[in-house]
Amino acid sequence: MIYGLRHLTTYRYARTVRSARCTLRLRPRDGDGQRVLESTVAISPAPKSRLERRDFFGLDTVSLVLDAPHTTFSVEAFSRVEVERPLPPRPESGPGWEAVREAALALPSLGPDGPAHFQFRSQRVPLVPAVTDYARGSFSPGRSAYGAAVELMRRMRNDFKFDAKATTVSTPLAEAFALRAGVCQDFAHVMIAGLRGLGLPAAYVSGYLRTRPPPGRPRLRGADASHAWVALWCGQDFGWIGLDPTNDCVVQNDHIVVARGRDYGDVAPIDGIVSSAGAQKLTVEVDVIPEDEAGV
Amino acid sequence: MTPAAALAVDGAARPDPASVAEEAAARIRRWTEGYRPHPGRADELMGADGALHGAYPRFLDRLARFDDREIAARFLSAERHIRDAGISYRVYGDKQEHPWPLGSLPLVIGAADWAELSAGIVQRAGLMERIVADIYGPGRLVADGLLPAGVVAGSPEYLRPAHGLTPPGGRWLPIYAADVGRGADGRWQVLADRTQAPSGLGYALENRMVLARAFPDLFADLHVERLPGFFQAFRSGLAAACERSDPRICLLTSGPYSSTYVEQAALARYLGFLLVEGDDLVVSNGLVHVRTIAGLKRADALWRRIDADYLDPLELRTDSRLGVPGLLEVLRRGGVVMGNMPGSGVIESAALSPYLPGIARALTGEDLRLTGPRTWWCGDAQGLAHTHDHLDALTLRPAATAVRGPERDALLAPIAFGAARERALAALRERAFDWVAQEPAALSTMPTWQDGALVARPFVMRVFAAWTPQGWRVLPSAFCRVAEREDGDPSEMRAGIRSADVWILSDTPVDTPSLVSTTPPRIRRIAGHLPARAADNLFWLGRYLERTEAVIRLVQAHLGGFGEAITADPCAAEDAPTARRIRALLKEWHCVEAADLPTAVLAQEALSGRDHYGSALNHALEARRIAASLRERLPAEAWRSLADLRDTLVFSEVFTPTEAQLRGRAERALGHLSALTGLAHENMNHGAGWRFVDMGRRIERAINTCGFAAAFCGAEATAEDLGVMLALVDSQIAYGARYLAGVSRDAVCDMGVLDPYNPRSVAYQMAAIVAHLDALPALAADGLPEPHRRHALNLAGTFQTAPAAEIDGEGLEVLAEELERLADGIAGRYFPSGAEALRPEKLTGLA
Repeated sequence: MIYGLRHLTTYRYARTVRSARCTLRLRPRDGDGQRVLESTVAISPAPKSRLERRDFFGLDTVSLVLDAPHTTFSVEAFSRVEVERPLPPRPESGPGWEAVREAALALPSLGPDGPAHFQFRSQRVPLVPAVTDYARGSFSPGRSAYGAAVELMRRMRNDFKFDAKATTVSTPLAEAFALRAGVCQDFAHVMIAGLRGLGLPAAYVSGYLRTRPPPGRPRLRGADASHAWVALWCGQDFGWIGLDPTNDCVVQNDHIVVARGRDYGDVAPIDGIVSSAGAQKLTVEVDVIPEDEAGV
Repeated sequence: MTPAAALAVDGAARPDPASVAEEAAARIRRWTEGYRPHPGRADELMGADGALHGAYPRFLDRLARFDDREIAARFLSAERHIRDAGISYRVYGDKQEHPWPLGSLPLVIGAADWAELSAGIVQRAGLMERIVADIYGPGRLVADGLLPAGVVAGSPEYLRPAHGLTPPGGRWLPIYAADVGRGADGRWQVLADRTQAPSGLGYALENRMVLARAFPDLFADLHVERLPGFFQAFRSGLAAACERSDPRICLLTSGPYSSTYVEQAALARYLGFLLVEGDDLVVSNGLVHVRTIAGLKRADALWRRIDADYLDPLELRTDSRLGVPGLLEVLRRGGVVMGNMPGSGVIESAALSPYLPGIARALTGEDLRLTGPRTWWCGDAQGLAHTHDHLDALTLRPAATAVRGPERDALLAPIAFGAARERALAALRERAFDWVAQEPAALSTMPTWQDGALVARPFVMRVFAAWTPQGWRVLPSAFCRVAEREDGDPSEMRAGIRSADVWILSDTPVDTPSLVSTTPPRIRRIAGHLPARAADNLFWLGRYLERTEAVIRLVQAHLGGFGEAITADPCAAEDAPTARRIRALLKEWHCVEAADLPTAVLAQEALSGRDHYGSALNHALEARRIAASLRERLPAEAWRSLADLRDTLVFSEVFTPTEAQLRGRAERALGHLSALTGLAHENMNHGAGWRFVDMGRRIERAINTCGFAAAFCGAEATAEDLGVMLALVDSQIAYGARYLAGVSRDAVCDMGVLDPYNPRSVAYQMAAIVAHLDALPALAADGLPEPHRRHALNLAGTFQTAPAAEIDGEGLEVLAEELERLADGIAGRYFPSGAEALRPEKLTGLA
C-alpha cells in the first residue's frame, strides 16, 4: 500500500515572536516494512538556518532557527510512503516474557534499535506500581511475551475510555491511568509503563493511521490525525512488534510509522522554544490518503 | 628561636624549653587518652595498637604548643569570619541558608600516603575519561562484553543526544572528583565517582582561607601543601582548550537558589570566571554568547554547575528553564568548551563499579589502584545469584540514580529480615537490573574535638583532579565531611555533618607558589563586559538601598531627629500640617497602613514593618536578596553591612519602642547605609558594575527628591515644610551658611533640586547619570546618542537651566515621572528583563 501524507501544523501567536528554535521530526522512518518514496517539508516564515541531522534513534530531524519577526509559524510536511508488513505472528507464539527480558538485557548493543534503551523509565514514562500491577494481570509465568501483551492491549481497550477532553499533552501518566481515559498518547504511555514495569523493552511509536470514511461519503480534507502506539521487542527472532492499544490491533499496513523513541518527548513532531511574551494557538491538519483512493 | 616565637613570649621571662615540651606532651596525652577507634574500622589518628600514627604525631606536637584556650579562641575567630563573610550552604531540598559548618580540626595526611592516593586518583580519572569517550563514541566496551548495555542504558545520565560528540578541547572530563575513605584494611577506597558537576572545590578553598587566617604559623611550620597552584593549573587547562588566546570562561550556575551557590560565586571570583545563568547566554551563529551591556560577547568555555539534562531545553529536558536552547548543537560544531561535557555523569552509576577492574586491564593493561566497596549489579545473572545468596550481608541500592536524604537512610538499612527483606526480594523479582548489592562500607574515622578531647568520627573526603596540558593534577587537599556523631553519615552535607580542611604535610618546606606570571599577560583594566543580568541586579541594588535611605530619612524628619537648626520642631504635634504631609508621603510609599497612627507606632511600622512592602526593612531585605545573586561582584564587607542593616531594622521588642529608641535605630541604619555607599565607592572597581549601582542610587534619589520637593517645596510651603525639605536633603547647615535671612521657598528649592554642587540635589544626580551613561559602551558606532542617553541629556539640561521660581509642585511631579521613564529606558537598553522582555516559551500542544 502506498500512502500520500500531509501534516500541516500552524502556530498563531498573540504577540510578535522575534526568534525561535525548533526541531521537526516529520520524515517517516525507513525499515520494518516501510519505504519512504518522497518527503518534503515547507516552512513559513523562511528559516534563517536549517540543519538536517539523524538523531540517536535513527530519525531524520530538521533543526530550524527563525529570526524574522512573525506572528504565524507553519510547517507542512508531505510524504509518500510504501507500507508492506508481514502478517503478525500466530497468537501466543514466541518466547516467554521473562526470557525476552533477560535476552534484551544480555544483548551487547547500544545501537538505536537496541532493546536495552526501552527497559527503563524515561522522562514521560515513570514506573508506577499501580500500572505495573495492572499489566501483571496478563503476564502469567512463562507466557509468550507477545501473547500476554496482546491481551494487555485488549484489556486496555475495554477498560479505558477514549476521551480527548480528559487529558492534555502534559497530563502525567499516573493521572491518565487513574482516570482510565485519555487519547492515543496516554494509552501508549500507560501500556509502555506497564510493560517496562515488568522489565520488558517497550517503545513509543508516532505516526499515522489510515481512516476509512463512512461508506458513500467523501474523505474530508484535514480530518485525519497523527497517532501513537506501542512497539514491544519480542526477542531476537520476532524483533519489534507494533501494538495499538487505542484500537486494540496489531500494527499492520494501516499504520504508517514516523518515529520510534522512549516516549512522546523523543518523537514529538515539532518541539521548540520561542521568544514571546504572549499566548499561542495551535492547529493541526493531517491527511492520510491511500493512493488507490487518490483519484476518487 | 624565630622572631615570631620571640614576639609571642612578649618580653616576659622566656619559659624553659624543656618544660614547654613537657606541657605539650601532657596536653597530647590529655587529648588522646580517651580516644577509641571503632573496632573494624581504619582510623587516621590511631592504629589498632593504640599508638598515634600517620601524620598526626607531627601535627599534634606542633598544635600542642598552644594551650586549649588559645586553640579554642582561634577556631572561634574562624567561625566568626565564616558568619561575617556569609559563607553558607543549603541542605538539598531546603530553602534556608545555613552558615558553613567548618569542623574544628583539619584532617592531616602525610606526603607518602597522599602520593599513593593521588596516583590512584590520576589513574582512575584517566580511565573514566576513556570510558565516557567510548560510551558516547565507538561503543567497544559494550560490544566486547566488558560493560553490559543495561548498565549504560539504565543511567538517567546516559544522554543520547550527546552520542557522537567530539568534545571541543578534546576532553570529556576537564575535572574529576572522587569520594574517598579507607577500607577496614587501611587502604584508600573510592566510595563514589563524581563526574557530573562535582561541588566542594570552593568550600575546600574557603575552609583553607579561613584556617590559614586562624593558624598562619602552623601552615609554615608543618609544610602544609598549598592550593593556588592547582587552581591556576585548572584555569589554564580550560583556557588552553579554547580557540582564542584570551578566552572568556564562564561558570554556569543554576542561580542563587542552588544549594551551593555561595561556593560557586566564590570560585567564580577566585578563578576570574564570569558567573552566568542560562538566561545570560544565547546561541547564535553556532557559538554561545553572553548577553552583556555591550551586546553579545562570545563565551569560549563553560564550567557548568547545573546538571546536564537541564542544559538544553531543545534536546534534553524540555521543561528546563535553566539551560540554553541550542547548546548541544554548538557542542556538536565545536563552538564552546565545556567542563564536564553533558553525559559525563553516566559513569557515576554504582552499577559500573563491578566492571571497572576488567575495563582497566583491557584498556590500560594495569590493575585498578583504587577500588571501592565490592558491588554486584543485579541485572547480571551471576550478580543476582550472589545477591540472593548473601542478602543478609549486603545492602541494596539503586543502580544508577543518586539517592539523597531520608530515602538514602532507608536504603542503607540492613535488609536481613522483616519488611526490609520482603521489599528487597520484591524489588529483585521483576526489575532486578535497577539495583546493585554492595558490601556495607564501614567508613573510616578521623579525630575531632569534643569537650576538650579527641573523638573518632566517620568522614568522607572528596578529592579533585583537573586535566591540564601537562596531565592530570590533583588538588593537594580535599573537601572533607565529618559526622558529629559516631553513627552519622557524612556522604552528603546536611544537619549533623561538618566540613574540615585537609592538610597534606610535606616532609620538606613547600614552595610558596610563585604568583609571578612567567609570560606577561595582556594588560587590561576591566574584567570584561558586564553581563546584562548583573547590570540589572546592580542597578536595583542601588535603587533599593536608596529607597531604604529615603524612608528612614522621612521617618527621621517626623521624629525630629535633626535638631532644630533652621526652624522649630515641625512635627511637635501629630496633626501639624508638616507632620500630616510626611505621613501622607509614608502612606503613598506603602510604608504604613494608615496615616493617623501614633508617632512611635507609625515610625516603627515604616522602619521595620513586614506587612507593607514600602517599609525600610522590606527594601533592605530586597537589597540583600539581590546582593545574594551578586556575591562575586561585591566587596566581602558589603555582605556584612547588609546583615547589620537588616539587624538594625528588625525590632525584637515586645513593646513599641520610644521615639528616642527609634531615632537611635534610624541613625544607626543610616550609618550602615553610608558604610555601603563608602564600600561601593572605595572598594569596587569603578568599572561598569559600579556605574550601575551608582546609577541606580542616583536615579532613585532624583525621583525621591522630586517627590520630597513636590511635598515640601510647593507654593504654600510653610517654614516648617521647608525645614523638613532641607533636612531630607541633608542641607540645613549649608543653607544656614549661605542664607542669613531665614527660609525662602525658592532658595530651598534651588538648593534641594537645582544646585549642581549639592550632592543631594536632583541636578547633581542627573549630571552623575549622564556621566555614567557617557562612559558605558554604545551598541552602534555611529556616534549618535542612543535614545535613553538622549532622554537623560534632555532631563539634565532641564535641571541645569530651570530657575527655581518656575519649578512648582506640579512640575516636580511631571519631572519625577520623566525620571521613572528614564529608568525604564535604561532598563530596556541594558537589562534582559526590561518592560518589553521576551521570555523563552515552549511550543505547546500535541503537534
